[in-house]
Amino acid sequence: MFSQQQVKDIIDQVIGYSKLPGCQVDVQWTEDDFIRFARNGITTSGYRVTQQISITSTTGDKRTGNSGVSELTPEALRAGVKQAEDLALISHPNPEDMPALAAQTYPHLSNFDADTAAARGDVLIPQVQAVLAGAIKNKLVTAGFIQRSANAVGVGNKAGLFGYHTYTDSSLTHTMRNPEGTSSGWATQSSVMVKDLNGAEQAAVSIRKCLGGINRKKLDPGKYTVIMEPAAVADLIGWLGFAFGARDAEQGQSFLSKPGQDPNATATFLGEKMFPEIITLRSDPFHPKLASTPWGPSLLPNEKISWIEKGVVSNLFYDRFWASKAGKKPTPFPANLVLEGQSNSLDDLIASVDRGLLVTRLWYIRVVQPKTWQLTGLTRDGVFLIENGKITGPVTNFRWNQSPAEVLQRTTKLTQPMRVTNDETGSNMAPALITTDFNFTSVSDAV
Amino acid sequence: MLLANRLFGEPQPNSTEPTPQLEKLGAVAIAEAKKQGATYADIRIGRYRSQFSGYRLAPQRGSSVTDEVPFVTDQNSFGFGVRVIAKGQWGFAASPLVTAEEIARITREAVTVAKANAAAQATPVQLAPVKAYRDRWTSKFDKDPFAIPMDEKLELIHSATLSIKKDPKVFSAFGALGFQSEDKYFASSEGSSIQQYVVRVYPILNAVAVDFKNGISRTRNYTVEPQTAGWEAIAKANLGENAPRIRAEVLEHLAAPPVKPGKKDLVLLPSHLWLTIHESVGHSTELDRALGYEANYAGTSFLTTEKMGNFSFGSELINVFGDRTNDRGLSTVKYDDDGVLTTRFPIIEKGVFKHYQTIRDQAHLVGETESRGCCYADSWSSVPFQRMPNVWLAPGAATVTPDDLISGVDEGILIEGDGSFSIDQQRYNFQFGGDAFWEIKGGKKRGMLSRVAYQARTPDFWHACDGISGQSYWQQFGAPSDGKGEPGQSNAVSHGCSPSRFRQINVLLTD
Repeated sequence: MFSQQQVKDIIDQVIGYSKLPGCQVDVQWTEDDFIRFARNGITTSGYRVTQQISITSTTGDKRTGNSGVSELTPEALRAGVKQAEDLALISHPNPEDMPALAAQTYPHLSNFDADTAAARGDVLIPQVQAVLAGAIKNKLVTAGFIQRSANAVGVGNKAGLFGYHTYTDSSLTHTMRNPEGTSSGWATQSSVMVKDLNGAEQAAVSIRKCLGGINRKKLDPGKYTVIMEPAAVADLIGWLGFAFGARDAEQGQSFLSKPGQDPNATATFLGEKMFPEIITLRSDPFHPKLASTPWGPSLLPNEKISWIEKGVVSNLFYDRFWASKAGKKPTPFPANLVLEGQSNSLDDLIASVDRGLLVTRLWYIRVVQPKTWQLTGLTRDGVFLIENGKITGPVTNFRWNQSPAEVLQRTTKLTQPMRVTNDETGSNMAPALITTDFNFTSVSDAV
Repeated sequence: MLLANRLFGEPQPNSTEPTPQLEKLGAVAIAEAKKQGATYADIRIGRYRSQFSGYRLAPQRGSSVTDEVPFVTDQNSFGFGVRVIAKGQWGFAASPLVTAEEIARITREAVTVAKANAAAQATPVQLAPVKAYRDRWTSKFDKDPFAIPMDEKLELIHSATLSIKKDPKVFSAFGALGFQSEDKYFASSEGSSIQQYVVRVYPILNAVAVDFKNGISRTRNYTVEPQTAGWEAIAKANLGENAPRIRAEVLEHLAAPPVKPGKKDLVLLPSHLWLTIHESVGHSTELDRALGYEANYAGTSFLTTEKMGNFSFGSELINVFGDRTNDRGLSTVKYDDDGVLTTRFPIIEKGVFKHYQTIRDQAHLVGETESRGCCYADSWSSVPFQRMPNVWLAPGAATVTPDDLISGVDEGILIEGDGSFSIDQQRYNFQFGGDAFWEIKGGKKRGMLSRVAYQARTPDFWHACDGISGQSYWQQFGAPSDGKGEPGQSNAVSHGCSPSRFRQINVLLTD
């Protein structure tokens, strides 16, 4: 792993080669170990080291160029600087470029675990074997993925800024299907500590889902009261976070824009109550379960911030440029999201629903209308009918068309949040929740 | 000179031999793997370059004054990955330090991984046979796009975006030129030594219009074919000439009435239909999905293996090929990442599903004796696995024109360009938007519509196809970054087709 001194040396070397007034260097080093399994056996797996140095050069009149190199020899770094500077000199002034930040005081985050950084097959394979054993014992077929990574990141610039951080992360996720292909269950765990992954525990969940999902009934599409499990909620809040940009909101292109305004009015719903009192959504890079970094893309120190506070839109994402124009303090990008929960259990939620559906996870979510943030997607790996407070049987999957803001607006009850890592929305802390009138538009025959 | 440059040299379209330095390094991995007891080994040494430049024109805060924001980036990545089979199990390791010592060390790591994982293997890996090749290949291009000065690129895109933004009613404009190259050397313990160089280009123009009073925002793109080609493809795209059309059409889109939902006939142009082919045909006919290898992430397929050779996928008009040899295809290459010579093969013939996309370690699982050349890894640090070849829909009879298709529609929609897209994990239920929609009424194309999406079930949709235009209307579009696998990988792939007609598809009114 790159040490702080190694990262500092690389950054100093790059800055030393630079001739233009501005130079920012981002260093990324990752070592990871991963195993894929399918058809009840390990398929592919690997161990790898990757590194990338990103160099951004800026002229005095705000022309910028960016290059990336993975070789670390002096000639490679020198070539990378020359390429970034040549691009900057050819480019045109960027009116939205912000002055380089001077030295920052970055917060200390405790998300590096030495055991995770050192874990190899002897740690990962037993967890895979536990999942495989669960599949074989129950005459099911499993496929999944386990991985751990150790990461060193660094940043520096000509104005004296320097940051260095190390963190680890790990995850185990798997799908359990019956041989007939008529039912599918799924479970996931992710943590900065690989010791939190437990194949046997996780397999118990997916096996229950898979065995309970056999003989699915077909229900008509329509509006249903739905209990979303944390994996589904994590995706929805991740997508909601993407829509919290101040620029789009102030320029009439977001669900947070006030309609009917003059194009130059910049009116938004900031400060207004759009959601029920029980909804508080925040970014928390200090959450011990999240593999976050001390700085975000702006290089300002990462901070805890609420986006929705007891139902009120409390902040929008202002990058440094837009904040300077709006006369506001820049805010971090809405990542590392935590949707605060309540003290209910999932069973409490189920018991409180007269008729509704329990949804395990969502799939292939895409924006249908950027302005309203209407999304489409599907359910996957377990949808169950709830009648009179009890799960009464499995039902088919559905396609849905709905805005995640509407989901939170119609939320009536939540559990405590847990960490979920999704491919497109990253790692967030999400509870299960009950939402009403969720719009299923057609049945999906997929299992 | 950088090590990567020394190793790969300049593209040599007429050479048939890899550079000696690469062959020497490749031999280190093969020898070390054998020494460690591996029964198979291959190494890929790769240099990847991705250059992206463009302009975003958008109004300043609280003002109608436009900010013109340029961007230029040029990313390079260089390293190697070694794949082995030991104790019947795959192992893989990768490093960015391309030296003989590191190659030997990483090869030992790959063997360690394979041996450890053998404890949990279901069945030993079995590879379909392949010939040994010694070759060097370069994709076709007239002008190296990386050699074109950056100021020429910026000027072209700046002038196109300025043209789009010329009408103050257009809210913002975006234009970009993307260029990607892969310099790759492959050597295997079965005697292959192959060097390949591929260049791809990705141009785009986009316009956004906003009706503040009514809270409506609409887009319009100029969909240019992304392709394996050089700068000449950018010149042919006529960005400057198309910019005024985009400007006019985004405003027309903004004012367009919403669609009336219900069952309608659709005439889909190649700039739109490519994505429907990609999602519903391309992904459903991947063998690794059908077998369950992707069950935990990308999903499985409704085309289970007993359907091969007999399942009625669509109407008799539907003939689809998998092809890594076709001109300008994003996935076109001479040899795949298993070292297999690529081919063209039928996927659907007269509506019947015939063949899956396969690689060496899975062909035998459907009774086939050779791979169809669909193995790919997106980086030197990625494990090669089954990825989509160019999957294209054959044209219809030469006499059929797009106007013929439209004239046969009483009430329908003509769709151009791609929009929102989503499909389930077995590739049954899909929903697609588009970039522009025109009403068809009484056999004539009318004005634009807005808020259109359609939903269908894959076999129902392809059975509803009753007209495909001829070869002269055939065009190829594609995806520069199709995601699949764990850890996630990205694949560039093209899908060609002619304008086609589909009867009575369920059309939705979106927000």
